[in-house]
Amino acid sequence: MANFTALDWFWTGAFLMLMVGGAFFFYRLARRSESDFFLAGRGLPWWLPASSVFSTHTATDTPMWVTGVIYAHGLRGLWYTFFMAWTAIGSFVSARIFRRSLAYTQAEWQVLRFGGLGAELLRGWLAGWQVFMNMFILGWVGMAMGKVCEMAFGWPVWVGLVVPTVITAVYTLAAGYWGVVMGDFLQGIVAIFAIVVVSAAGIAAVGGPDAITARVIELGDAWRLDPLAFTGWFTGDFPAVWWLTMLVIAVIGGFGMGTSIDWYVEAQRIQSAKTVRDATYGLWAGGAVTLVRNAVWAVGILAFFVLAPNISSAAEYELGWFRLGFELLPMGLVGVFFGALLAIHLSTISSHLNLGALYFTRDIYQRYLNPQARERTLVWVGRAATVVLLLGSFFYGLMMEEITQWLIFALWLMMAGIWLPNILQVVWWRFNAWGYLSSWIANLGISWLVVWVLPAFGILPKLPDYLQFWMLMALGAAIFIPATLLTKPEKMDQLVRFYMMTRPLGWWGPVRREAARRGLIDEKSIDASEPGGRPLIRRSWTAEQAGEWTREDWIVIVLSPLVFAFILFGLTKLLLLQVSGLWLVLAAIAGAAAIYWVIDPKLRAVSEEFETTQAKYLEELERSVRWDDASSTVEG
Amino acid sequence: MDRGLVTLIGMSIAYVASLLGMGVAWWAWRKRHRDNDEGNQ
Repeated sequence: MANFTALDWFWTGAFLMLMVGGAFFFYRLARRSESDFFLAGRGLPWWLPASSVFSTHTATDTPMWVTGVIYAHGLRGLWYTFFMAWTAIGSFVSARIFRRSLAYTQAEWQVLRFGGLGAELLRGWLAGWQVFMNMFILGWVGMAMGKVCEMAFGWPVWVGLVVPTVITAVYTLAAGYWGVVMGDFLQGIVAIFAIVVVSAAGIAAVGGPDAITARVIELGDAWRLDPLAFTGWFTGDFPAVWWLTMLVIAVIGGFGMGTSIDWYVEAQRIQSAKTVRDATYGLWAGGAVTLVRNAVWAVGILAFFVLAPNISSAAEYELGWFRLGFELLPMGLVGVFFGALLAIHLSTISSHLNLGALYFTRDIYQRYLNPQARERTLVWVGRAATVVLLLGSFFYGLMMEEITQWLIFALWLMMAGIWLPNILQVVWWRFNAWGYLSSWIANLGISWLVVWVLPAFGILPKLPDYLQFWMLMALGAAIFIPATLLTKPEKMDQLVRFYMMTRPLGWWGPVRREAARRGLIDEKSIDASEPGGRPLIRRSWTAEQAGEWTREDWIVIVLSPLVFAFILFGLTKLLLLQVSGLWLVLAAIAGAAAIYWVIDPKLRAVSEEFETTQAKYLEELERSVRWDDASSTVEG
Repeated sequence: MDRGLVTLIGMSIAYVASLLGMGVAWWAWRKRHRDNDEGNQ
C-alpha cells in the first residue's frame, strides 16, 4: 500500500484542481453549437490534436498492458505496442481523406462514401457499435483505475472505478470536446513527466542502465534485450509469423479507416484540426510521442523485472510500473505520481465519454430521431448521452476480471474479419455498402465459430491469435467479396462526388475518368510540362497537382513507419546506453526531417485548395443530416 | 471464465447494440420514404 502523507494529498488535490478547473474555462465555447461541443469548432492547430492523441492513448490500463508484454517478452514485447504505427501511414493517407470528407464520425463517413439504404444501415450499425465500444472502453479503463486504487490505498475496486470517472464526467458535460482537448494538453504534460520520473526511479533502484543489462544477462535471460528474439517461425510464444502479422495489421492498416479501434477516436481529432495539414501532423506527432512513451516505459519495466523477476501471475506483474511509482518515489512525489495517474485516467475517460455521446447525438438522434433539432437541443442530448455512457461503463467495468485478456480480444479478434474491408472501403471504388455491411455482420458468426464453437466441440484445435486472425480474415473475405460483386456498384454520381471531395488513394480509375469527363478534373493542367522537367521532389504545387497522389506521398508512406520503428527501438536502446540506439535515434530525426521537407509544401497546397471548397461541403453536410439533401448530381 | 466464451458474450452484446442502431436507421429510412410517397400523392 502507498504511504500517503499530507503533502502527497496536497499535490494530488492541486493537480486535480488544475486539470478539472482548466477545462471549465471552455464552458462558454462548448455550448455554442454541436460543432463546438464535439469538434471544438474544427479550428485546432496541430499540436492540440497531437497532445490529445497521446493523452487519450495513455490510459490507466496502458501501463498494465505495456508492463504485461514487456515483463513476459522482454524488448520483443515492444512490437505489441507498435500497433500505434498505423498512424505512420494513416497520417498521410486516411487522415487526409477523412479530413476532406468533413464527416463528424466514421458512421457519418459511410453515407458520404456509399449511398442509399445500404449506407444508412451502415451508419446506424456503426453508430450502435461505437456507442457500445466507448462504453466498453470506459469500463475497462475505469476497472484498471479501480485496481490501482485497491493496490495503492486498499479501497474497494468500485471506488476507483466510479469516483475519478464521475469527476471527469463533470467537466466533459460542461465543456464538451473543448474541455476534453484542453484537458488532454495539460494532462499529457503531467503524464509524460510522471512516466519519465517513475522509469528513472526504477532504473536508479537497479543501479543504472548498465546494471539492468548485466542483471538480465546474469538471470540467464539475455534474449529479453533482443527485440527480434523469435521462438521459431511458427512455434513458441513469440513466433516470427505472429510478429509479421502484427506488423502487417498495424502498418498496412494505415491505408484504411477503422483497422485499429483507435481510429474512431483519432477520427474526431482529425476532424477537429483546422486544416488537412494540421490533421496530418496532429496524428503523426501524437503517434510518435506515444512510441517515445513506450520506450521510456520499457526500460523502467525491465528495471522492475530485475527487481522482481519471479512473478508468474499476469494480474500481479501487470501492476509493476505502478509499484515502481508507489514504492520507490519519495514523500511528496508519490502525490505527484498519483496526480499524474489521475491525469492519465481523466484524459482517456473524457475522450471516450465525449466520443460515445457524439455517435449517439449526431448519428442516431439527429439523423434518425429528430433531424430538425436545434443546436442547443443537440448539445443537451450530447450531455444526456454522456450520463448514460457513464452509467453503462460502470456495469462493464465490474464485468471485467483481467485487463489483458479483454484488450487482446478487443484489439485483434473483434477487428479481424473487418480489417480488410476497412481498407477496401477507402482504396477500391467497386467496394459497396452491401459488401461492407456483410463483413460486419458475418464477423460475429465466424468469430464465434473459430474462437469458441469449433474448438469447444473438438472440430478445430485452439489456434494461436495470429492464426485466428488470418483465418477470420479469409473467412470474412469469402463472404464480403461475393456480396460486393453480386450487388450493384454505388451510383456513379455518389462516387464522383465522394472522389472530388476526398481524393482517395487506390483503385478509383473509372470514377476518375467519369469526373474528368464531367470536367471536374483538368488533366491538362495536372500534366502540364514544367520548364526543365518535373523535379525529383516537387516543392511548388498548383491546387490541381496537389490533389493527386504522387511520388512525394509514396516516399513518406515508406519512410514514416521506418521512422516510427527507429524512434521506438532507438530510444529504448539509447536509454539502455547501447550505441546502436544513438544511431537509430539520429536516423529517426533525419527521417522525420526528410518527411517534413518532402511533404510539407504539398500539404500546404492541399490545405489551401480545400479551404476554398470546405464551406460549400459543410453546408451540404448539414443539409444532408437533416434529410434535406443537396442534389445528388455533381455540379461542374 | 473460458476466453472463447468471454469473446462470444462481449461480441454478442456489441452486435445487439449495432443491430439496434441499424434498426433505427431502417425505421427512419422507411418513415422518410413513406412520408415522401404520401407527399407526392
